Amino acid sequence: MDLLRLIFGETGPWLASLSRFILPLVCVAIVVRCIRSMLRERYEPETWAYLYLQGEIMVPLRHWECILGRAKSVDGQLDDPSVEKLHACLIRDAAGGWTVYNLGRGDTYVNGEPVTAGGAALADADVLTLGEVSARFVDLTEEERAALLKYRHAPGRRVRPGATMLLLTVLQILLVLQQLVYNEDAGTSVAMAFGILCAAQWVYFCVLRASGQTGFEPETLGFFLTTIGLSVAASSVPDASSMIKQVIFILAGIVLFLILGLWIRDLKRTKSLNMVAAGASIVLLAINLIFAQVTYGAQNWITIGGFSIQPSEFVKVLYIYASAATLERLFVNKNLIFYIGFSAVCVGAMALMGDFGAALVFFVTFLVISFMRSGSFATLFLAIGGAALAIMVVLSARPYVLARFQTWGHAWEDIYDTGYQQVRAMSAAASGGLFGQGSGNGWLVDVTAGDTDMVFGVVCEELGLITGLCCVISILALAGFVVKNASAGRSSYFVIAAAASVTVMMSQMALNVFGSMDILPFTGVTFPFVSRGGSSLLSCWMLLAFIKGCDTRSRGSFAVKRPEKFSGGAGVEEPEDEDYDGYDEYGPEGHANRRRAGRGRPYREDNR
Amino acid sequence: MKKVTNRAAAVMILLALILVGMGVYIFRLVRDGGDWASFYANDSVYTNGSLNSGSITDRNDVVLATASEGGISFADSSAVRTACLHVVGDINGNIGTGALSAFRSELVNYSFLTGTTTGGGTVKLSIDAELNVTAYNALNGQKGTVLIYNYETGQILCVVSSPSYDPEYGFDSSDSAYDGVYINRGLSATYVPGSVFKLVTMAAAIENISDIWSQTFTCTGSTTIGGQTVTCSGTHGTQTVEQALANSCNVAFAEISVQLGGDTIAEYAEKYGLTSSHSINGEITTAAGSVTSAQGDDNSTAWEGIGQYEDLVNPYALLRLVGAIANGGTVTEPSLLYGKSAGSTKLMDSATASTLSEMMSYNVEYHYGSGSYPGLEMHAKTGTAEVGDGTSHAWFAGFITNSDAPLAFVVMVENGGGGYSVASPIANTVLQQAVFG
Repeated sequence: MDLLRLIFGETGPWLASLSRFILPLVCVAIVVRCIRSMLRERYEPETWAYLYLQGEIMVPLRHWECILGRAKSVDGQLDDPSVEKLHACLIRDAAGGWTVYNLGRGDTYVNGEPVTAGGAALADADVLTLGEVSARFVDLTEEERAALLKYRHAPGRRVRPGATMLLLTVLQILLVLQQLVYNEDAGTSVAMAFGILCAAQWVYFCVLRASGQTGFEPETLGFFLTTIGLSVAASSVPDASSMIKQVIFILAGIVLFLILGLWIRDLKRTKSLNMVAAGASIVLLAINLIFAQVTYGAQNWITIGGFSIQPSEFVKVLYIYASAATLERLFVNKNLIFYIGFSAVCVGAMALMGDFGAALVFFVTFLVISFMRSGSFATLFLAIGGAALAIMVVLSARPYVLARFQTWGHAWEDIYDTGYQQVRAMSAAASGGLFGQGSGNGWLVDVTAGDTDMVFGVVCEELGLITGLCCVISILALAGFVVKNASAGRSSYFVIAAAASVTVMMSQMALNVFGSMDILPFTGVTFPFVSRGGSSLLSCWMLLAFIKGCDTRSRGSFAVKRPEKFSGGAGVEEPEDEDYDGYDEYGPEGHANRRRAGRGRPYREDNR
Repeated sequence: MKKVTNRAAAVMILLALILVGMGVYIFRLVRDGGDWASFYANDSVYTNGSLNSGSITDRNDVVLATASEGGISFADSSAVRTACLHVVGDINGNIGTGALSAFRSELVNYSFLTGTTTGGGTVKLSIDAELNVTAYNALNGQKGTVLIYNYETGQILCVVSSPSYDPEYGFDSSDSAYDGVYINRGLSATYVPGSVFKLVTMAAAIENISDIWSQTFTCTGSTTIGGQTVTCSGTHGTQTVEQALANSCNVAFAEISVQLGGDTIAEYAEKYGLTSSHSINGEITTAAGSVTSAQGDDNSTAWEGIGQYEDLVNPYALLRLVGAIANGGTVTEPSLLYGKSAGSTKLMDSATASTLSEMMSYNVEYHYGSGSYPGLEMHAKTGTAEVGDGTSHAWFAGFITNSDAPLAFVVMVENGGGGYSVASPIANTVLQQAVFG
């Protein structure tokens, strides 16, 4: 309270009750700004090379991994009976070299030489022959690519990311105010924790902005959810040591986010550790099974130096790292079989630990990844059938899981035992109304697992339904962002990893929200970023790196290399913001003209 | 690549499912949020399991209960506290039909918009606390109930159950006088109805026996039906059906019941809502009575139509029935919340209702004597229901048609004796107070 008086004077309590109504609106503003920015920015694909068919038809190659064939869904369609449906695959490496692989039974030639199993290099002006169709391959030079890049849009001009960061700071100040007024135990350490989070996000923003980045939506949403999570942590255990721990976890999360994001800039490097990641997941799971303590029925906690760690949280990241794959590997059956086996081990280990919620999250993620890898519904139905069987086994072996299933939908009929937590979560959530009781003014956080498995109830109680919905929508926005970005993705590795990451986040959120509100069985899963706890926070920040990895907008993501820098900065400098101020100025027509003019060379090529 | 990027849309399936789930959640929150928020574990509105905000008043703004951090306090007057105990409820929630339990969501002042953040609300009940006191005093320590409501507006004016106690002081649980003290005898109990049930048998006869008005019934004090005797309270000689109802003649109604058959009587009891439980303001659930068809056993059928056999009736359900008769066949559903209507339900043909109404008026004129109810346009039926231990429940149910006081009532005194001698004076006392103040 002394601190409160120091900062806000005698108006503190009055300001706090006013702030209860402002806070949800600030949350809405933050989330809406991020969504507007993600949806309204243009998502022009990059162009890496062209194929000329019979010298007339120009096929731009817009990914690093392109399939050629007769099927409609390929990247370069060659409509000739002599061409296989999926005939060949063109892969670009980070250095700019192209390789062609033969996919099916058909024949592929480069300048008349047949392509072998190991693939064949492809250079500018080479003639590629598939069946009886020939095409000329035209690579782009750095200058040409820079010229094209000039007209791609960088995000951040329609919705300024700095202003959103400012709103986030306002949110943090309001939360500190409410904590000091409503939470008797909150003091300097809570204010300090928010201060450090605020400083961290500004340092992050300034450093990346200075290095030319303009896309900040995913991490802004990450910071937003982390801020709400810090509010929950402050309400739950506001003492100094807990707050310090929480802040350490937040900072570690941001650092891991940066490290993983920078690491995956190099696809070759990333791919080289695929098997290492798979091995590490299995080792972690094994350690977990042998050493972990049983808490709340699930055996998944390991304590190291005062920090309780849940290895299964890190396995999520490793699982995605190991499961995403580049296009040429997708069509090799033994890779798929290895993947399914690996997934079965992971899901099985989770079930053995009794962590039914995590097993479910893994399984849904497995379904999404395997669909993206194979596109086969038959595989999926097989997997679902197998899982149904596995669930029966788990249910019969774990009576407490079965009890939770039996309570599902009947929480109010057993308020003393199996419905104990859910009815409290619903009661608290309802009593918050749209605007909440104020941060630190709730009671649900003191119920067992209130700050983790029922955290949606805590957020709704203390910060209101509006803020609760903002948290849900933040995660959904990330999913929409990934789907939108996918079409311009460079490699299937990044698209699959990002889609898997949002799948993990969405399924965790669904199990957390719907489980505690008795719409799904209550399985005890954390809400991404918001639930109190270190391991889960770290893994969420790392998953966010995968989401950044699929953002190919110009200057959109630090996790994606800028094309002009591939050959050591020899390319043309990117123009400053002021040089191209959005297409509003020119109108769509003028803009299109400029873009066409920018293509330059391919049109001249036609006259060659 | 296009294949893989297109497949990324699979993520949208999950997104759509989550949106559906959120829709379900918000729907449930809008529908049930009040119940959730008023759950006893909600520490923002309960302190140590007891409501910490909100108050309950009667129709004249007499405060019946106030909840605060320090607990719940009741009305200032001990008489009011005692007479209104069952309608208000007790601290521990033992009286489930009490307003403290039933209208929790209104007391915590829950709204979807503000949750419970605005502090407690006031629940204004439709009852008149003074009238409750009069009724409780009129019961004079006997176990029983008095229910009165306005059959045109639905507003419930009086709900009293005896025995009761002053919630400020509690009661001696070893004293048998307090047996079943937590039960609201008007809403939560069922009793053998005895002759008040003849209203149901009469209604069935009006609609099913075409020559009912030309039949005569001769009572010699008893008759033999199905090989066994049906006794009557008197020797009524030869009577028309109107006279038989007024005399409450068992012999006549035994014959009518046999003519109707056990199934028809049970069917009418069901149709008139005597065998189902009812909901008051969507929050209070009343006890359901039961009427079993004696199916072919003539003697039992006779007793079934007389309101004995296995018949059990809840006083509130009977209140609805007499309310419907008074209101032309359609019951204005009773409401305990001041100024709040609760809809209406058609129970019977208006012709049947008006015939029954005339006959109930004739009962008073011919048998009970209008002098017993000065100033009241009384329509009623007595009941003296034999319980089997030699005692009888005393019933008096009906309505008055005074233009400024369209009130229906049920008085029941457990093991009290005769309906006319015991229950009728109580009804008169309370109605005099209700109409003339």
